Amino acid sequence: MSISIKNLEKAYDVVVLKGINLEVPQGQILGIIGKSGAGKSTLLRCLNGLEQPSAGTITVDNELFTGISDKARRKIQRKIGNVFQNFNLLSRLTALENVMFPLKLLKEDIKKSRSKALKMLHLVGLKGKENNYPSQLSGGQLQRVAIARALISDVSFLLCDEFTSALDLETSLEILELLRDLNQRLGITIVLITHDMAIVREICDEVCVLDKGQVVEKNDITSILLYPQNAVTKSLIRNLINRDLPHHLQEILMEEPAPDSSALLRLFFSNQTAGDPVISSIVKKYNVPVNILFGNLDHIRETAFGCLIVAIPYEHSKIDDIMSDLAKRDVSTEIIGYLPQKGCFT
Amino acid sequence: MKQLVLQSFIETVEMVGVSMALGTIIGSLLAILLVLTKPSGLWPRSYLHQILGIGLNAFRSIPFIILIILMIPFTRFWVGTSIGTAAATLPLTFAASLLIARVIEDALNTTPKGLIEVGKALGASNLQIILKIQFREALPLIISGLTTISINIIGFSAMAGTVGGGGLGDLAIRYGYQRYDFTLLIIIVIILIAMVQCVQTLGNFVSARLRK
Repeated sequence: MSISIKNLEKAYDVVVLKGINLEVPQGQILGIIGKSGAGKSTLLRCLNGLEQPSAGTITVDNELFTGISDKARRKIQRKIGNVFQNFNLLSRLTALENVMFPLKLLKEDIKKSRSKALKMLHLVGLKGKENNYPSQLSGGQLQRVAIARALISDVSFLLCDEFTSALDLETSLEILELLRDLNQRLGITIVLITHDMAIVREICDEVCVLDKGQVVEKNDITSILLYPQNAVTKSLIRNLINRDLPHHLQEILMEEPAPDSSALLRLFFSNQTAGDPVISSIVKKYNVPVNILFGNLDHIRETAFGCLIVAIPYEHSKIDDIMSDLAKRDVSTEIIGYLPQKGCFT
Repeated sequence: MKQLVLQSFIETVEMVGVSMALGTIIGSLLAILLVLTKPSGLWPRSYLHQILGIGLNAFRSIPFIILIILMIPFTRFWVGTSIGTAAATLPLTFAASLLIARVIEDALNTTPKGLIEVGKALGASNLQIILKIQFREALPLIISGLTTISINIIGFSAMAGTVGGGGLGDLAIRYGYQRYDFTLLIIIVIILIAMVQCVQTLGNFVSARLRK
């Protein structure tokens, strides 16, 4: 199932979305990321039909989804699965009954719905929890029930709204794993919105960055992470990186260089460059001490990338030279911030 | 005398039972209409919502004993007489409907917005959303609300006795008060207390069972 959004606008008292153009091909996982108030939720609510756009069109599988009658819209809505932030399960129904609920609304055969719902629950890894009520399940289990419910009416398009924000990190990763698995096994197209670059990094093929109601950047996940163009994208990525930084360094990180400070650089080595002795040649060529503060093998889906965070004494011209030199070697660099000299060379 | 008490008890149960049953039906319909038509509702019709709301409040502010008297012409028209159990059931049903409408309206309004959106996103009709999501979720609240109203209506039914409505209230007025039969008065009070206790216990039990 493919989705196509053309010149979408949405205004209440203020303009929330303006001129959104997006294509989501069949089988893709698209992440829509942005800070709060960027219009992500509104965009998603237009996609699931809970809001009507003020202008522009959405087509779902070559069928017009906007500007149509309520009845026609409901028909298309049934092909779209939704996973919500707060799970939104019916508290007085068991897990199984919750999963069956969409089929019940369609007045489908109870026996068939039941066996289908059982299959769905097993698919999302909830065997044995069929007769539990939501109050008896954990957050991760609730979200699994919600995913099973979203998928039961043979949808091929899943919309996820900040669906991990009520879960802890480990559970979030499990749920992401499940979604990726469903995407690969069933070929389901997934659109998810989040403010968290870490979620996007785990699962998305394609990323669309939203700011002030407009798409400011759209690219595949590797390009977004390695070569972010827009300031908003960069700041979202910085949040991700800063979280990786050791805690005691995060505390003394400065935004602007001060006398006697060190620049904190993040170096991204893609596969081709991982073999070069980049650091030692920089040390020799520029005669600067390079202090490696942190390093890890980062991953973007299946591709591994080396990431290093180094501190170099701050000297304006030298830093620029080093950065352009590194860029020539296909190492992408970014200044994360500045540390007081003492902080990193003692 | 025993016969008289038993008969009056049955009359009270009848009056309360019938008026609660009819009141629940009428009250539910009114509540659904109120919830649908509210400005943020599924079928917003704000003028209709306001007219309904004002009407409900106006009638609810009439003390029951006066309501019975005001309704006498209607009761005569519908039931043929203004005296007796059947005649008392009409104002009781009316009062019950008003109370129940508000209680169910409040219960339905407690449904989280997210659940209504689930229904919408699943392509459910407005009626499906009200019945299969809102009513179902609110059922424990509705049951405890109905319990409270049943107890009110038991009280009202005794009040109906003052105008010859039949039932335990009637018996208490005629024999207990006007004929100074103090023992009978106490017996009736004890029966009423027991009735209220039973209804409350049953209501609590059902409501608790429905909560998951």
